[in-house]
Amino acid sequence: MTEPAISQRVFFEKAGAGELTAIRCQRCHALSIPPREFCPSCGERAWQPVPLSGEGTIASYTVIRVAPRGHANDAPYAIAAVQLKEGVSLLGRLMDIPLDRLAIGLPVRFRPFTRGGQMAVGFGPA
Amino acid sequence: MRRVAVIGVGVTKFGRHERSSAELFAEAAGDALVDAGLPPSAVQALYYGNVVGSETEKQLHTGPQAASVLGIPTVPTTRFETACASSHAAFRHAVMEIGAGVSDVVLVGGAERVLNVTTEESTEYFAYASDARWEQTLGLTFPGVFALVARAHMAKYGTTEAQMAAVAVKNHKHGIHNPKAQFQKAITLEQVLKSPMVADPLKLYDCCPFTDGGAAVVLASEEVARKARRPIWVLASAAASDWMLIGDKRDLSRVPATERAAASAYQQAGLGPQDVDVVELHDCFTIAEIVATEGLGLFEPGTGGIAAEKGWTSVGGKMPVNPSGGLKAKGHPIGATGAAQIAEIVTQLRDDAGPRQVDGARVGLTHTLGGNTATVLVSLFGRD
Repeated sequence: MTEPAISQRVFFEKAGAGELTAIRCQRCHALSIPPREFCPSCGERAWQPVPLSGEGTIASYTVIRVAPRGHANDAPYAIAAVQLKEGVSLLGRLMDIPLDRLAIGLPVRFRPFTRGGQMAVGFGPA
Repeated sequence: MRRVAVIGVGVTKFGRHERSSAELFAEAAGDALVDAGLPPSAVQALYYGNVVGSETEKQLHTGPQAASVLGIPTVPTTRFETACASSHAAFRHAVMEIGAGVSDVVLVGGAERVLNVTTEESTEYFAYASDARWEQTLGLTFPGVFALVARAHMAKYGTTEAQMAAVAVKNHKHGIHNPKAQFQKAITLEQVLKSPMVADPLKLYDCCPFTDGGAAVVLASEEVARKARRPIWVLASAAASDWMLIGDKRDLSRVPATERAAASAYQQAGLGPQDVDVVELHDCFTIAEIVATEGLGLFEPGTGGIAAEKGWTSVGGKMPVNPSGGLKAKGHPIGATGAAQIAEIVTQLRDDAGPRQVDGARVGLTHTLGGNTATVLVSLFGRD
């Protein structure tokens, strides 16, 4: 039995304070987004938390126009898969970027996105 | 493993129904048993697909409910949930149960009821198949997931919105000849391209509809199947998974689970994509059909859009895809879809598909994708 290097709850607590955290495998040094029990590359079970810069570029994006309940008042809104400069990727809500400026490769920077009292991953202009 | 055959199929009309999902399944299963020439008492197990019943019908424990409504309350039942691939996953496990010699006759199917709730509600319930903490909180929708795939595919290969629209036009054209289809009407390229945007670049007519419906197939061991009128043999049934989170998927222009499930199915059957005559695949969105034809090895990566545009995937083309009309025109009652695809391939291999028949089809393939591309099932079928 080992405590996780960083739990999902702690990831989002730190993210809410503006800090993105990844975990690095102690054996093969692969980087993952937590929570993860085993390293998917080498099978090791020893992780070290490492801070991420929050800087990345859009790998793909969409503008949601038909939204689920709870997000309908936001529509239209953009969601992007963002490749962070450290190599891992995160999906996030885009904020303060005009929808007609969206493009694959556009630099963006992490910032917390809160809706309905719950913190999630967001990205704004770099 | 023993050989397994499909000996009976049944599908309800797809569209809007005022009946429960259990009733819809029971109609399809009843038809499948009549088609198989077996009494209900011959069924030794029910493997059942149902996805959002706990939301739209406030119903769990849908396996025994379906069996009770069908009138076979004492058979063992198991409900499978792998999002939109649920009844195809149920099928694979039933194949293994018969293959292993545990049972000789297993009923497989599924049903879904969603048109009794609003689009906003059903959009939310379908989104439950993406991660609750990481993705649902962003307002990600299923059109949104495939819009991310579409953008990536367009950027990598130059796939166009017109090529995606060509998939919708083709599947609607096929659906005209399917009396069970939700939409039996042709649409034009212009109608698709001018339809309202749902999740850029996917428009309303790039998306399959919400659908109520049921489907069922009867599986049998070789010993039982030899006495059936028209057995269609299961040559392979394979499953693969992939990362749950979109962020963990390395290349959004591909669906690696499709590639892995296809490789496994081809290996089981000793066949390759060049041996396949007819395909029913998971076109929940037009881009999903393009990426699936590439992942199944039917076309080179990046050429799936060209194949649709040139008519290669039409009935009469060199690789007919979705002669039933696909999810796009036939409809997509998510828990029933895998079984409905299998029913269509069986109908094709029996040379029983009427005006939508693919001439001379001897080997058929079904491909069903679950939700955010994290589950894929691929099965292969052949006739004597």
